Amino acid sequence: MTTMPRLVRAELFKLRTTPGPWVCFAVVVLLTGLGVTTSFIVGHHGVVHFTAPTTTTQLRRLMGAGYTAAIVMAPVLGVLCITTEYRHRILTATLLIHPRRADVLVAKVLASAAWGVLMAVASFVMIAAMGIPLLLAEGGSLPHLLRQVGPVMPGMFAAYILLAVYGMGIGTLVRNQIAGVILALGLSLVLEPIIVAIFSSLAHMDVNFLPTRATQALAGSLSARGPGGGAGGTARALLSWWLGAIVLVLWGTGTAVLGYFTTFRRDVT
Amino acid sequence: MSTVNAPVRAASIEVKGLTKRFGAVTAVDDLSFRVEPGRITGFLGPNGAGKTTTLRILLDLAAPTSGNCTIGGRPYRDIPDPSRHVGAVLEATNFHPSRRARAHLQMMAIEAGIASPRIDAVLALVGLTADAKRKVGGYSLGMRQRLQLAGALLGDPGVLILDEPSNGLDPQGIAWLRDLLRHLAAEGRTILVSSHLLAEMAQTVDDVVIVSRGRLRAQGPLSILTARAQSSMRVRTPEADRLSEIARRAGFAPRQLGGDALLVDGATPEALGPLIATNGVVVHELVQVSQDLESLFLELTTSMTTLDQPAPAVTR
Repeated sequence: MTTMPRLVRAELFKLRTTPGPWVCFAVVVLLTGLGVTTSFIVGHHGVVHFTAPTTTTQLRRLMGAGYTAAIVMAPVLGVLCITTEYRHRILTATLLIHPRRADVLVAKVLASAAWGVLMAVASFVMIAAMGIPLLLAEGGSLPHLLRQVGPVMPGMFAAYILLAVYGMGIGTLVRNQIAGVILALGLSLVLEPIIVAIFSSLAHMDVNFLPTRATQALAGSLSARGPGGGAGGTARALLSWWLGAIVLVLWGTGTAVLGYFTTFRRDVT
Repeated sequence: MSTVNAPVRAASIEVKGLTKRFGAVTAVDDLSFRVEPGRITGFLGPNGAGKTTTLRILLDLAAPTSGNCTIGGRPYRDIPDPSRHVGAVLEATNFHPSRRARAHLQMMAIEAGIASPRIDAVLALVGLTADAKRKVGGYSLGMRQRLQLAGALLGDPGVLILDEPSNGLDPQGIAWLRDLLRHLAAEGRTILVSSHLLAEMAQTVDDVVIVSRGRLRAQGPLSILTARAQSSMRVRTPEADRLSEIARRAGFAPRQLGGDALLVDGATPEALGPLIATNGVVVHELVQVSQDLESLFLELTTSMTTLDQPAPAVTR
């Protein structure tokens, strides 16, 4: 495994020398900014106000303003990490230097996770740069907001990391870049909500073992027993944060391992 | 044109009983050959002959149905730090168009654990120093080929495997490539190069491996193979009909070329000269038409024949 550090460095270098990951990065910042703005929109007796969040739930929405960005962009980043190699046939060069494909896949998992960390940092920098001045300008309490750092921030970091790995797994399975991005977005934004809604309304069941629901559990930290749900804003019962983390790990590693055995070991043409 | 900072670790390439099937299609059929160090070996065959498939299996990018390939006695995947031993050019499309040329090589160097100064050395070697900071998307096909070659030489390998490396190169580029390959072979490196540019290959290679429909048709030093192949005699004579009849009776296969010209397949000067003298035929011209690489290639690949007992590989 002495070659693993340089494999990971090479994967990180690949990501930072192509535009795709930076576009993801920019969209994370933009979506987080949007999340910060919407966390100041509070409804009260049917009237919408732009005001400082004060309740625990509202403050967590502000602290977790990067949640939507995580759900949307972290998997896309993961998809790009692997499918760019197929799209531009760079995998040939990669495997000529290091033919052991399992090592290459592990390096990609680690590089995706590292970019997940970077995206989470960017998201929280945006929350601090935009949310704190707005909070103070609207008469909110910074100490109250900072009390939500512990319950929200670690889960959000974990969500970014694990969703990026999950995206990498999807990309390994699909190989086609456009199909991978559509699948990653379609699963989290369209298919999962439909599945959750169908099971909830017809069978009165909470389907918590899907990636987005597991992320809600992870990012909300106290959401399963807290007031009004987590950063995702759901009021239904969720998994505990650690079970959510395990579920996301299983989705990420499961898709990557499945991809390895079904597509990644195929002939490179 | 020095490319070497350390001793070259040349090694022979060996392909043994290699077969690759894609469903019902057999791309490579029980193919065996050997490539020796210090020589340029041309890997020749028409489109669909199985050349690229063979090279991809050799480089562990594809799995064989049966048989095996080794470089220096080891499968590619078992060579530690393979890019320091084997450099490969497979196709000029293995680049991200938004990545700069130098960054492409840096990416490879990081993965291979090669120091940065080597990047500048190979860029200079392939003549891309001035364009190193340009994005590869703006490169011509010839420049991409040079960049591919730079990537192959990054680890200063003792073995080079090149698939159609002259694609997209202009005449000056082809001449440059020929000189570079000769120089690299003279350093003792093993060079296997596939190409369909037979005239160019004839000027470049020492040995050839000719394949068609996945099967070996001939292997050996080019000079020996062309000498062993059938030669012909072209004769200009006012007695073309009489000489044709005499040659036919002697067991040759003469063909009228029009006018006073006759081509006697399978004949040599030693065989045809006495026949002409004995029969008192007037001859204006008598020329031996020896086979070149192109005619040998066409003979072997269109008639699907095989040169019996391929010449033994030359060892150094």
